[in-house]
Amino acid sequence: MSTLNMDTIKVKIADLAVLRESGVIITVGLGSCVGIGLYDESSRVGGLAHILLSESLQFQNRSGMLNKAKFADTAIPILIGEMEKIGGKRTRLQAKIAGGSQLFSSNKSGISVGEKNIDAVRRALEQLNIPIVGEDLGGSHGRTMRLYVDSGRVTISTVGKGVIVL
Amino acid sequence: MDDSSIDSTRLDVLKELANIGVGNAVTSLSTLLSGEKIDMDVPEAILIPLQDVPDTLAAEELAMVGVYIKAHGDVDLTVLFVLSVDSAANLIASLVPGSTGEFDDMGISVLMEVGNILTASYLNAISIMTELNLMPSPPEVAVDMAGAIISTVLAESSAIEDNIVLLKTSLSTRQMEIEGSILIVPDIGSMEKLLGMLGLW
Repeated sequence: MSTLNMDTIKVKIADLAVLRESGVIITVGLGSCVGIGLYDESSRVGGLAHILLSESLQFQNRSGMLNKAKFADTAIPILIGEMEKIGGKRTRLQAKIAGGSQLFSSNKSGISVGEKNIDAVRRALEQLNIPIVGEDLGGSHGRTMRLYVDSGRVTISTVGKGVIVL
Repeated sequence: MDDSSIDSTRLDVLKELANIGVGNAVTSLSTLLSGEKIDMDVPEAILIPLQDVPDTLAAEELAMVGVYIKAHGDVDLTVLFVLSVDSAANLIASLVPGSTGEFDDMGISVLMEVGNILTASYLNAISIMTELNLMPSPPEVAVDMAGAIISTVLAESSAIEDNIVLLKTSLSTRQMEIEGSILIVPDIGSMEKLLGMLGLW
């Protein structure tokens, strides 16, 4: 409601949140997980999702009801839906993404969980025609991601590596 | 796993499993530290929402040291030994003559070796009780945000359930100011097998 509203909303693992006009959406400790920040500049609606795994499909028959915010392929459509409810417009959305690192780096054969997550997020955004306008991905360190809803600015902080702005 | 099927009896059994496993691990660590007395808390076996797992460890943004070991075999699980940066430095310093606890190659390999010893003795105890074979893979070390360490472990375990069973024990040394926790996160399906071997599934 108020433009002085300085809400901070925290997004946990496998979780998402949306805000309008002002405030900060934060997610702490992205390792192999990927944070997806979506922003509609003209309505100043922002949303952030913190996904843990890439595809829901391979797990679908396991236990019926799964938290859809956990997976790249299912979280992003839900995030967009939530943004539309508070005035965001799908066709105006731009994405900034961060995470997908490989913390424990000495391993392994094949593609890491982080890389799989990054690929899945890129694929999902491409299918929805949402351009990626900023990214800080990969490497072997954790990240905290903040989306400032007044401007769409995203900051990434790390342990011992300072802060970068996307 | 159906969430409702992990009842308190089963959690108690897992707690006992953790108790014996960690008891064994602590004895090995004490030997390694020349008989240093180590206190351990009563192990917790908890079923908690996935989203709350990072909070069980430490403030999510706090830098921690994690020694990560994947165990494969009849069941798959992850062992994570986490300690504060100061504790890890003290551990290195107490095991490397002349070291002040730097995270250099020597320091990191000391942490890996401690992880190996703790894990091997923990898993040994579980293997004996359940007759399940468990082979630890080489340890890996990360110094990073607690939240990033634990969420990576969850992702690597394909923790797709909405509720996660977590075995957690904290331990601390009397003299050397080393405090840490040992966490066990079973992979999908492994919990049923563990409990099955104990006649509870």
